[in-house]
Amino acid sequence: MDIFADLMMGLSVAISPINILYLLIGAIVGMIVGVIPGFGPSAGLAILLPVTFGMDPIGAIMMLAAIYYGAMYGGTITSILLNTPGESATVASTFDGFPLAKNGRAGPALVMQAAASFVGGTVGVILITILAPLFSQVSRSFGPPEYFLLAVMGMLTLLVMIGSNWKLGVISALIGFALGTVGVDLETGQGRYTFGSAELIGGIYFIPIAIGLFGLGELFYAFYNGLHKTGTGGIVQYDNEERFWPTAQDWLSTRMTMVRGSVLGFVVGVIPGAGATIASLMAYSTERSLSKNSENFGKGEMAGLVAPETANNAASSGAMIPLLTLGIPGSASTAVLLAAFIMWGLRPGPLFMEQNPEFAWGLIASMYLGNMALLAISIFAIPLFVQIIKVPYRMLAPCIVVVCALGTFSVHASFVETYLMFAAGIVGFFMRLYGFSPAALVLALVLGPLAEEALRQTMTISRGSFSIFVERTPSLWIIGVTLTLIVLLPMLNRFGKPKVDQPAKADG
Amino acid sequence: MELTKTLGRRMLGAACAAAIAAPLAVATPAIAQSYPSADETLDWTIAFGPGGGNDIMARSIIEILNKYDLYDGEISAENRAGGSGAVGWGYLYGQDGNAYGISTTSGSFVTTPLQADTPWQPESFTPVALLATDDLVLVVNGDSEIDTIDEFIANAKANPTNIGGTGSVNVDFIVPTLFAEKAGFEFDYVSFNSMSEQTTALLSNALDAMVGNPGEILGLIESGDLKPLVFSGQTTPAALEGVPTMGSIGFDIGVSMPRGLILAPNAPAEAQEWWINTMKEVVQTPEWGEYISSNTLTPTVLYGEDFRQFLVNTKNGFEVVLREVGAID
Repeated sequence: MDIFADLMMGLSVAISPINILYLLIGAIVGMIVGVIPGFGPSAGLAILLPVTFGMDPIGAIMMLAAIYYGAMYGGTITSILLNTPGESATVASTFDGFPLAKNGRAGPALVMQAAASFVGGTVGVILITILAPLFSQVSRSFGPPEYFLLAVMGMLTLLVMIGSNWKLGVISALIGFALGTVGVDLETGQGRYTFGSAELIGGIYFIPIAIGLFGLGELFYAFYNGLHKTGTGGIVQYDNEERFWPTAQDWLSTRMTMVRGSVLGFVVGVIPGAGATIASLMAYSTERSLSKNSENFGKGEMAGLVAPETANNAASSGAMIPLLTLGIPGSASTAVLLAAFIMWGLRPGPLFMEQNPEFAWGLIASMYLGNMALLAISIFAIPLFVQIIKVPYRMLAPCIVVVCALGTFSVHASFVETYLMFAAGIVGFFMRLYGFSPAALVLALVLGPLAEEALRQTMTISRGSFSIFVERTPSLWIIGVTLTLIVLLPMLNRFGKPKVDQPAKADG
Repeated sequence: MELTKTLGRRMLGAACAAAIAAPLAVATPAIAQSYPSADETLDWTIAFGPGGGNDIMARSIIEILNKYDLYDGEISAENRAGGSGAVGWGYLYGQDGNAYGISTTSGSFVTTPLQADTPWQPESFTPVALLATDDLVLVVNGDSEIDTIDEFIANAKANPTNIGGTGSVNVDFIVPTLFAEKAGFEFDYVSFNSMSEQTTALLSNALDAMVGNPGEILGLIESGDLKPLVFSGQTTPAALEGVPTMGSIGFDIGVSMPRGLILAPNAPAEAQEWWINTMKEVVQTPEWGEYISSNTLTPTVLYGEDFRQFLVNTKNGFEVVLREVGAID
């Protein structure tokens, strides 16, 4: 086996003591940048990049890559404990992660997220190892028509997220789409709703909105309920030390979720520009549609946490494929890695793995080791993090406000974005109070601009003809999958549900 | 200088340079000793995040200054990113008259003031030097039947053609637009958010062609996945040997993105003079040559007022094209 020999060679490169040290530093830094809300892996990478100027490139890339995938582990911790996503790919993890913690299952939720991250990350690396050439074909077959269809497919997620009160849900999504129109119009270069402000040229970034809506909104809602007056109670319940480990039921009920989340996440990650955020949202909605307990989603269903967690980690591995096989970065973080490659005098492209086998395989091998290290670090660190939620709420709350503000500011050092975050916090409180859907708003804000740009690019290319969507093979595939999902999922639900529902009705 | 072909512009530039240089030459010897003072920290603003083109350029220059002991005092480099450069250069703009505020420029230095109400314009600052330009290469898919730029132009005249680029109010749009005007063909411009999206769009055969910085796609050119047709700079970089320039086939467009060095507005003349002399040494070092070649930039050096004139010409050229298409009003 060629691959096996390559991998062993890579492992021999990766396993030198100094490289292992760099790998561990990267993993720990990654965890930390993941934990701080808003401060994502691309920012962490960019800050550490100048440090690597004088380093040996292999050790340096192992460290930088570990920061990148390590952030996916850390990012979920605050999603679960504080309802504040540590970074964009962990927004979906708040949907069920936080309710789980509220129900007194913070420990199991944290352990399961570490396990899910490990499975997703490792499945991702295995797929890179054996299928890199195949998947590089996937990443090079995506043009604007496919991106548009992918965004439409992502919008199916909206249907799921809109929830029971569809009117409020639709309004939430429309607000999100409206916010998505702010910024310089990509095609004509005209400013839309920027009011001449240089800070708004790039549009409204969804991270300040997500932090405000979820993190601060939840905080204000807790004040509203008088949580700060209860002497010792934290934001979530955590009183029973015995329930630290997940139950057998947790493992059994999510084993297929892990497989589906990993594969889906990896495939979406391979597509440049789609990335871990969309992968995690898609995994969440897919899992919810397939689940027999779909009505429990959003109320603390373990599968609702495991699905986005496996997917975002698998996607971060998947995004290495276009980087290594084509020299095309699929995300902001991999773009920083690409800049590092060029800085070290390497030339990423289709011949990269052939010309630099030690570098490429050393990196791949280090990702196996890195994921193991991160699993261990996560499990050991959980008792520490759990201490956070034992802090009385009246002391914790001001800290959350500071962390949200600092986290938002650190992304682009922008005051406008920080104000937006606070405004989103107030809006989030009222949305929460009156039953709107912050999740639908954020998703619409992510997908709206993506769909708009891709559709306009497509229409320019096809000179206004919609037939381009059926003339291209990859487009046809996506249409096929989307239609299958639309037709099949409600049917599956109909077959699946009565089995669960009927006993309940009999009881009533 | 060859970049600005119009004779009138050249004369204007030269006149301005002479007017400013004359008093400089008199003032320099007396105060030359006092600048730079070792007690002052040089405040180097990088108007973009770490890892980008602007950041790499700034840090490369600082490394050379340190290695050859060209600057006595402390240098503190800070990334002040935001608003496509508006934040960082706005910060430098606020240090009117300061001799110790410095920054590197890139494409947004010209385009951001055209797009937003920035208090500053590119010519507001004290110019030190234009060091290099970022030029673009026009590429088609490796499987394309088109092999040369002549074939491309002939095909574009006969069939509707599209060209992809990153963003709309920038050089990616302006270069092919001016080129098409000169070569006499029409095309639809498709703008993308990032180089990676436009590259996959071309590889997936959705686009007919695209423009991009050669440094980012050299790997794909080397492997034959992309075919380079024409280069917008004055001389073709070594890595693109054999590719004609737009000028060499008779369609010179005279526009490129400035990578240079500026001081705060109204910085003391001796500071400007000191930096001009120092940069003359920097561009001679092998490290600088390495920076130019590894980032496939075109070395284009203009000092002081010539650089200011270059900025004004570039800005005016951009403004005309962008106004024509309605991108700005």
